[in-house]
Amino acid sequence: MKLALYFTFPYPSGETFNKFLNRTMPLNYEYVELGIPTEHPYYDGPVIRKTHGRAREEFSMELLKDTVQTIRETGKKAYALVYCNLFENDADGFMSSMKDAGFNGMILPDLLTDYYSMRRSIASTVSSHGLELIPFFNSTTPDSVIKEILSLTHSWIYFGLQPSTGIRVPLDIQSMYGRIRNLCGEREIIVGFGINNAGIIRDLRKVGFDGIAVGSALIDSMEKNDTVAFDSEIKMLESETHG
Amino acid sequence: MYKYNHFIPLSVYSVKNKDIIPDQWYNIIPDLPEPLSPPRDHDPERSSIDLLNRILPSEVLKQEFTSRRYENIPEEVLRQYEQAGRPTPLIRASNLEKFLNFAGKIFYKYEGATVTGSHKINAAIPQAYYAAQEGVTEIATETGAGQWGTATALSASLNGIKSKIFMVNVSFRQKPLRKRIIEIYGGDVVASPSSLTHYGRQILKNEPDHPGTLGIAISEAVQYTLDNGIRYLMGSVENSVITYQSIIGQEAQKQLEIEGEEPDVLIGCVGGGSNFSGFVFPFMKTDVEMIASAASEVPKFSKGKYRYDLIDTAGILPQLKMISLGADYVPPPIYSGGLRYHGAAPALSMLVNSGRIRTDEVTEEKSREAMQIFARTQGIVPAPESAHAIATAIDYCKNPENTGKTVVMNVSGHGLLDLSIFGD
Ligand SMILES: Cc1ncc(COP(=O)(O)O)c(C=O)c1O
Repeated sequence: MKLALYFTFPYPSGETFNKFLNRTMPLNYEYVELGIPTEHPYYDGPVIRKTHGRAREEFSMELLKDTVQTIRETGKKAYALVYCNLFENDADGFMSSMKDAGFNGMILPDLLTDYYSMRRSIASTVSSHGLELIPFFNSTTPDSVIKEILSLTHSWIYFGLQPSTGIRVPLDIQSMYGRIRNLCGEREIIVGFGINNAGIIRDLRKVGFDGIAVGSALIDSMEKNDTVAFDSEIKMLESETHG
Repeated sequence: MYKYNHFIPLSVYSVKNKDIIPDQWYNIIPDLPEPLSPPRDHDPERSSIDLLNRILPSEVLKQEFTSRRYENIPEEVLRQYEQAGRPTPLIRASNLEKFLNFAGKIFYKYEGATVTGSHKINAAIPQAYYAAQEGVTEIATETGAGQWGTATALSASLNGIKSKIFMVNVSFRQKPLRKRIIEIYGGDVVASPSSLTHYGRQILKNEPDHPGTLGIAISEAVQYTLDNGIRYLMGSVENSVITYQSIIGQEAQKQLEIEGEEPDVLIGCVGGGSNFSGFVFPFMKTDVEMIASAASEVPKFSKGKYRYDLIDTAGILPQLKMISLGADYVPPPIYSGGLRYHGAAPALSMLVNSGRIRTDEVTEEKSREAMQIFARTQGIVPAPESAHAIATAIDYCKNPENTGKTVVMNVSGHGLLDLSIFGD
């Protein structure tokens, strides 16, 4: 099973961020998602939400470029997770800077909600810069919308298990998987949101998801500068997904 | 005999309840034309979505965010539905047709035929059932008109648990019989704003005579739930509630099929949107026209905005993207307490916004007239809320363009406890 790690970039500071990211680099995992900080990360839970404020102050394009390069050198793929209001006025310029920074593709969590009417033009801007658009679906995305977006993209799929990041409401994983698999066919499905322990990872693996994405669960140790707790978390993730 | 089967209309057979009551609820979310905007937190420090774990029965919460198109109705819930009067009848209003000189057909689905007198029991039974299954011993809720409180009180008793009902102060005063019947069913009813919650006490301090609103009553019920570690039942607006109400539309579909009829238009009234959505959503795959009727005094369709807004005035629950007049909107004290809510269910709001569902707004005066017409023609005193749908249907039938059409309306409840609308 694949593993994607999410980090709001650069939280809690450029230096600490790099220190922790570097600890993950030797590990066996596939994707890094870097959250580009924004004022209103509406669809994130409180844990990730609060990282955006500090990260906005610390953000710089040079730092981002260096980071993406480091990631790419290990053979992992790097994706920018971006709320659409960040590029509302200049999608073309923004995607060009993302390509320039070295990203493989884009994850846009609000594309199919607040920016639904612009989905086609945004999708074509993303691909015109040679970036993959990662479809972001959840259990309430209608069938017809999933089919349309699948036809506009070629990459893996990000499936949000929970209504927002870092929270846990009760779910019927089996039926969620059945539906999304049915709609997505052979495409790779990485599932994220609220994944924080080995038990749930095993359940997700067992039903058939191709990978998991983890974010909120890593933030606490980074905040406390606790490398021991961080290492034990990422080792657990690595062994649950690749062991 | 068997070889003639194809030629015998279904209505010739004796139809059993279970042939009409569906065994699954229908959830429209996967069939919507656009994605529904997800609930949003408004307090950056905490997750109001996560907090739902401590507010709703966990099975209800699961169904709130489910991707399943159909949800099996538990055996016991089906049994309680039957005991509560389901299926409700679909009746041809031929007296009304005659009265209006209407050359088409008018049918009405009569939710007033349930034991508590409205559609509200459809959503109360499953929620109380799930709560009881999960070991919850008490549930809390709000009520405007009193119909939801009545349904909750009975559903709690049927499932062996207690209920606390926060009733909007104006209704509490306008409708003493409502309070009485809630108590007969075993519910404990208090006027909201109340002194039972911090939020209620704050409001009473500034305005001891506050008329109350559904937004405030919801806040109090939710606060009381959190303070006492019990569970809260929602009467409308939530996706799961709309799903439970799909029983109305699914039954109507079956009944129309038995009659050999295809509707041209479906009409219902909208408070939070549960009876209307439950009635029309199962028909969404056809091209039948749909008209949602609200109160002119609470003009959510003509003056409301489609935007994120609070469900409850105190902002404990997440924000939803819906057509809303604003959570702090204090509606005038019309008799149709059930139509005083500031917003409308997200899926309904989206379909109104996209133009799939048309809307109408009816004054209290006109709804009172419709109550009388319906009582004198069909013999049923409809709930003032339902009379909005009837008034819209009457206008529809009077329009020469609609001659010959088949109109189906949902009469969401009876108005026998609302007679004070005609004076004391
Ligand atoms: C008889 C009746 N009809 C309609 C409504 C409006 O609610 P909803 O739009 O959720 O069906 C109510 C609410 O109290 C009601 O009691």
